[in-house]
Amino acid sequence: MSVELFVTDKAGLTKFYEAIISKNETYAPVEKFGKYDFKRVSSFDACNPDAPIAQTMSAKPLFFPRSAKIMKYTADHSGTTVKETDEDSLAGKRAILGMKHCDARALQVLDKVYNWDYIDTDYQRRRENTVIISARCDKAETHCFCTSLDYDVEHSDAMDVAIVNGTDGKVFIEARTEKGKVFLKEMNIEQRISNNEFQVTDETAPAAVKQQYEAFAASFRLKMDYTEVNARLSKIFDSPEFENVSANCISCNTCAFVCPTCHCFKISDEKVKDTGVRYKSYDSCNNGYFTLMAGGHNPRPVKYRRWRQRALHKFVYYKERFGENLCVGCGKCTNSCPVNISIFEVVKQVSETVSV
Amino acid sequence: MDYTNQIREIASKLFAEGKIDVFVGYRMTGFDENQVPALIRDPNEVSKLVFTDKSVFNLTNYLKQDHTRNKRIGMVVKGCDSRALNLLLTESQVKRENLHIVGIPCKGVVDENGNKMQNCIECIFPNPVVFDEMVDGTPTGSEAPPYQVNTDIQNIAAMDLVERRAYFEEVFESCIRCNACRHSCPMCYCAKCCIDQETSTLYHGANTTSSAFHALMTWSLHLAGRCVDCRNCEKACPSHLPLHLLHKWNEQVIYENFQEHLAGVHEGDRGAFYKYSMKDPDDFIM
Amino acid sequence: MEAAVNNQLVSIEKPEIVAPPDWEPVIIGILCNWCSYAGSDLTGTSRIQYPPNIRIIRVPCSSRVDPWFLIKSLQTTADGVLVSGCHPGDCHYISGNYYARRRFLVTKKLLNFVGFHENRVQFSWVSAAEGPKFAKVVAKVTEDIKKLGPLHLYKKENFEK
Repeated sequence: MSVELFVTDKAGLTKFYEAIISKNETYAPVEKFGKYDFKRVSSFDACNPDAPIAQTMSAKPLFFPRSAKIMKYTADHSGTTVKETDEDSLAGKRAILGMKHCDARALQVLDKVYNWDYIDTDYQRRRENTVIISARCDKAETHCFCTSLDYDVEHSDAMDVAIVNGTDGKVFIEARTEKGKVFLKEMNIEQRISNNEFQVTDETAPAAVKQQYEAFAASFRLKMDYTEVNARLSKIFDSPEFENVSANCISCNTCAFVCPTCHCFKISDEKVKDTGVRYKSYDSCNNGYFTLMAGGHNPRPVKYRRWRQRALHKFVYYKERFGENLCVGCGKCTNSCPVNISIFEVVKQVSETVSV
Repeated sequence: MDYTNQIREIASKLFAEGKIDVFVGYRMTGFDENQVPALIRDPNEVSKLVFTDKSVFNLTNYLKQDHTRNKRIGMVVKGCDSRALNLLLTESQVKRENLHIVGIPCKGVVDENGNKMQNCIECIFPNPVVFDEMVDGTPTGSEAPPYQVNTDIQNIAAMDLVERRAYFEEVFESCIRCNACRHSCPMCYCAKCCIDQETSTLYHGANTTSSAFHALMTWSLHLAGRCVDCRNCEKACPSHLPLHLLHKWNEQVIYENFQEHLAGVHEGDRGAFYKYSMKDPDDFIM
Repeated sequence: MEAAVNNQLVSIEKPEIVAPPDWEPVIIGILCNWCSYAGSDLTGTSRIQYPPNIRIIRVPCSSRVDPWFLIKSLQTTADGVLVSGCHPGDCHYISGNYYARRRFLVTKKLLNFVGFHENRVQFSWVSAAEGPKFAKVVAKVTEDIKKLGPLHLYKKENFEK
């Protein structure tokens, strides 16, 4: 974590964003039908880096695409040959604007599983080549609970460049990683300072940044003692409470598809005659047909068991295996759920039925 | 529109008389003014039930789930919900003797911003067509209401071909193939759904624009003549796609050509595609 | 309606796509076994010529045709689709074609609504005795699709041209 902290104002920030867009392959939230999704942008007017959390999709598809071609093949009477697919369009050097801290943190969580028993080189390359510029939220939205979980939101190094809004229109910019420092240099930080677009901060700046964090942390509706919850959850596999909390679920796949940390996938082949393409696409463990096997066996036909698996994977199993929570507390699942099931409420309600 | 007290009384009575195993209604989310479905199995929780103009979700969707099958269910239905229920009864998906249907003479529901939903503004079936008791004794009307044209589709139909193609290309591009639309639709109960099977080449599970086109078109054509315009699909869609455009367009075509617009109004009436007439339009066929 | 820009044939739904100079449309023909398929056979045995652009798929009855077949055809090789069945009143299964014609109309209108030209999917009633008619139908459909240019909308992987 760096202590190079710079200050500018809204106009300076906009110029900075514009410069990023003109010098880099940039992805930012673009609005369509009232929802923001991360798309490649070539001008600042086309995007909104301050899109509201509830209306913004995760940037995860820029690292783990919704559908990726993983191979091409020919299969005819002479045998099967496998060919490489086309160039990965997401593997170039690029910058992402408008990712929230939770979304950026989710990538650090996913890094664990993608570097585990199999090193996913596509994912690695995309991670290495990406610079994340993330503005810390000024206040939490209805379903946010990132500060209740087991990571340090205030000093997070999940993003390379962090932006914090101070009071009186000041905007603080800080490189949190080495990559971020290099990026700021590439974006002519010294020149901006000599042009007075940016200023080096004085000793009051860290306090101002901390003040913003304090106001932000106080704005949360949802708070829980995560260690307590995790301790209880590890004991309640058989709790009948799971049936109650999952009764409303319609197994529609939405939560897993919008979640920044979910990483289940399915493989499908698109074949015509002798040639085909193999896709890896998003899947959801809540789906009634999840991992349906040839022969018809369904490992989890009962809904509350699927929900139990989802909750425990997020809050217990992943933690046991990798030391990190698989949930970052962004609330996207609850926002998108057609019946507003809140994973926070599920986990809290179930853990309350356990005596430690 | 507030029937909270009546719903609680009715649910209590049904539990006390041992007539139902589960009561399906609405309750507050607990964190804002909106409501979510409530599947109450414990009579002591009846006080959670509410009913106001924020009771939006079409609850008949729960009749497709395994854990309500063969249970005795008390359910709250508005006008559109009751038509979906009637159609499910017609299509033999649920047993009438298992249901105790509480009908609401609906004045329309609102979205998260408090605006009346478009399908409610254009609604022609506010009163339930099937019920065991109406919450305030209102009888239903008996004449078929006249068909109401949807204004959005008029605007789209007025565009020229290339403009329309560009508009729908954006719609299909934004689809993430989560299939939430199909899951939240009460009329979609196929165990082997043709857009929700994951790996077969036939069904196109990858998330591409062409697979979104396949899924949304096939889904709306399989739903044609059976859609009750409850907007569960649109509310469920995480990409906020304007799915009603496809369904309302099919409804208009069916009305203009086959004079059918009463999906689910009469029990036993399976809809436009289960009938034919000697006078059906034929001039488009060589 | 010609889809021509600067005297070059373009795809009518996407005028930025120009047809290659020797482009021939691919028409998928879905024919009912008892009337249209037999009728097409009669066309052949009578040695009546018709454009070779059509690829025929045989179904037992026109009501077997799910709208999904049309969608799948348009997403794969087809530039146009022809569905043909028995004349109303003559269906081998009594009433199949009555149900089918309702479905055809709604499918055609919905495809037009989302941006396909209405001539991309066409329908006909051809009886087993109507050899010459089948040839005329295929010629008309081929001619219509030739004017609309290649179809480039929502093609599946492997079918993008």
